Amino acid sequence: MTAVANGPIAGSVPSGRRVVLENISQCYTTDSGDTVHAVSDTSITVESGEFVCIVGPSGCGKSTLMDMLAGFLTPTQGTVTIGGERISGPGQDRGVVFQQPNLYPWLSVRKNVELGLKLRKIPASVRRDEAKRYLEMVGLEQFMDRKPYELSGGMQQRCQIARVLANDPEIILMDEPFGALDALTRERMQVELLQIWRKRKKTVFFITHSVEEAIFLGTRVLVMSARPGRIILDETINISDENGSPLGAELRSAPEFVRLRDKVSTAIYEAQGVTGMSPAQH
Amino acid sequence: MSTIVITAPDDQQGTSTPGKKSRNHARTARRRQTAIRLAVFAAFLILWWGVTAAGLVKPLFLPSPGAVWHAAVQANSCRPVAAGVERLVCGEQNYFMWEHLIASLQRIGVGVGMAIVFGVALGFIMGTIKPINTVIEPYLNFLRSLPPLGYIGLLIVWFGIGDVSKIWLLFLAAFPPIAMATISGVGGIRQARIHAAQSLGASRWQVMTNVILPSSLSEIFSGIRIAVGFAWTTVVAAELNNGIPGIGGLAYISGTQLQTPLTIACIIVIGISAIALDALIKNLGRVLVPWHGKA
Repeated sequence: MTAVANGPIAGSVPSGRRVVLENISQCYTTDSGDTVHAVSDTSITVESGEFVCIVGPSGCGKSTLMDMLAGFLTPTQGTVTIGGERISGPGQDRGVVFQQPNLYPWLSVRKNVELGLKLRKIPASVRRDEAKRYLEMVGLEQFMDRKPYELSGGMQQRCQIARVLANDPEIILMDEPFGALDALTRERMQVELLQIWRKRKKTVFFITHSVEEAIFLGTRVLVMSARPGRIILDETINISDENGSPLGAELRSAPEFVRLRDKVSTAIYEAQGVTGMSPAQH
Repeated sequence: MSTIVITAPDDQQGTSTPGKKSRNHARTARRRQTAIRLAVFAAFLILWWGVTAAGLVKPLFLPSPGAVWHAAVQANSCRPVAAGVERLVCGEQNYFMWEHLIASLQRIGVGVGMAIVFGVALGFIMGTIKPINTVIEPYLNFLRSLPPLGYIGLLIVWFGIGDVSKIWLLFLAAFPPIAMATISGVGGIRQARIHAAQSLGASRWQVMTNVILPSSLSEIFSGIRIAVGFAWTTVVAAELNNGIPGIGGLAYISGTQLQTPLTIACIIVIGISAIALDALIKNLGRVLVPWHGKA
C-alpha cells in the first residue's frame, strides 16, 4: 500500500470540473396520488477531486440526489451543472456504482468490465488489459471467464466496481456500494477505493448508512434530513494525514475521528426528529 | 423410496455434496416419470386395441392400432394400384407422408420465421415507444383473438389459393404472440440495467443492442414457442383448400374420404412433430439464454 503524495488531499488544485447543484428540488407523485418532496431546495458545490460522503436516515432523498447527478432524473426545480455545463442525461463522465450489482448475465465477468470501453470502441487488446488490471484490483482475476451469476453477491458487487473504474469516469457516484459486502472485504474495498481516488483524482459522491465509513472515506460529509431532504450538516473531514497512510483501526479510535463521528451521528438523529438521545448508545 | 437409498450409496466418507445428491434425486425422479408415462401409453394402446378387437366400435369410427400403423406404412411406400397390376401408386395423394410433413413444416417455417422477424421488430418498437404501443395494441389484440378459419377465405381472395395465402395465415397466427412476448420482455427490464449501460456511455442504439435485446431474449423464446404451437393448430385450416402436399391437408382429405386410419396416422404425426419442434426450440432457448432464472 503505497501512499501517493500528489493526491488532491495534499492540497494540489485539481484541474477537473466543478459540480454545482443549485436550488434543486425533486417532487414526484406516488401511485396513490400523493406528492412527495424527495429533495427540497438544496444547493451543493463540489470541487473536482473531493470525496463527498452523503449520510442520512432512510428515505431522505440520498438516492434521488444521486439519480439527478447521474442524469437519470431531471430536477423539478433548479439545475445541476458540471464545469458550468448543465447535464442533460447520463453519460460516461459520471460512472455509477449501484446498490445492486446490475451485471449483464450474458457477458462474462471480464466482458462486463470491458463493456464501457467496448461501447467507446476502444481496441480489444487495450480493453482486455484494462479489465484484467481492475479485476486483479478487486480480487476477481481468477473468475474472469465466469458468468456473473456464478459469483457470490459480494463478488458481483466488486465486479461492478471494477466495471465502473475501468471505464475511467471523471466523477464516480456510489450508492451504498459496500452494503452487501462482508466486513473484511468492505474494509479492503474502502482502502482500495481511497487509493484509486488519490491516484486518479476522481470526484466521488458516496452514499452510505455508516457514519464511520463516511468519515473514514470522505473529505467532506453531508448529512441530509428526512423528507423533504435537505442538507443539514456540511462537515469537512481532515483527519487522514498528508500522505494518507493511517487507514486502520488506529484512525477509527483517534480523538478527532470520535469527535466527528459523534457530531455527524447527532445530526442524523436530529434529522430523524429524535433529540436528546446520545448517539453513543447506538 | 427405498431403492433410492440402495442405488445411491453414501459417497466416500460421506462427503457427497448437496448438488450431487440433488442431481441423483432428479435423475431417479426423471426415470420414474418416464416409466410411468410409458406404462400409461402401453395401457392406452392395449385399451384401444381391446375396444377395436372386441368389435365394440365400427372400424370406420375407430380403426384398430394395427390399421393406423398399416395406413402410415402405406402412406410412406409404393404399392401396386391393384392386385396383379404392374402400375405402382406411391404414398397418398401422390406424395409420401413424409413429403406432406415436409411441405407443412416448410410453410410453418416460412410463416413463423417471418413472424419472428416482424413480431420482434414490432414488439421492440411498441415496447420502447409508448405512443405507438397505445395506438397499435388494440389491433394486435383484435388480430390475436381471431380464429384463423374465419379469415382464411379472405386471404385466398387476396393472395390466391396457392402457398402465399397459407403462409400469410400461419404468419398472422404466429405474429401476435411473438410481438406480445417481445413487448412484455422489453417492458420487464429493470430500469437500473439500462441506467448502468447509459452511465457507461451507451448511446440509445447501444442500449438497444447491448441491453434490451439480450434481456428480452428469454421472453422472446417463450413467445416463439407459443407461436409455433399456434402455427401447428392453424396448419390444418391453412391446408383445407388446395392443401396437398401438406400433412394438414392430408388429414382433412383422408377424413372426407372416410380413410379414418390415415386421418389418425396424420394426427399422430402432427402431434409428435409439434412436440419434437417444441422441445427443439426449448433446448435452443436453454443454449442461447443459459442465465434464465439465474439472473
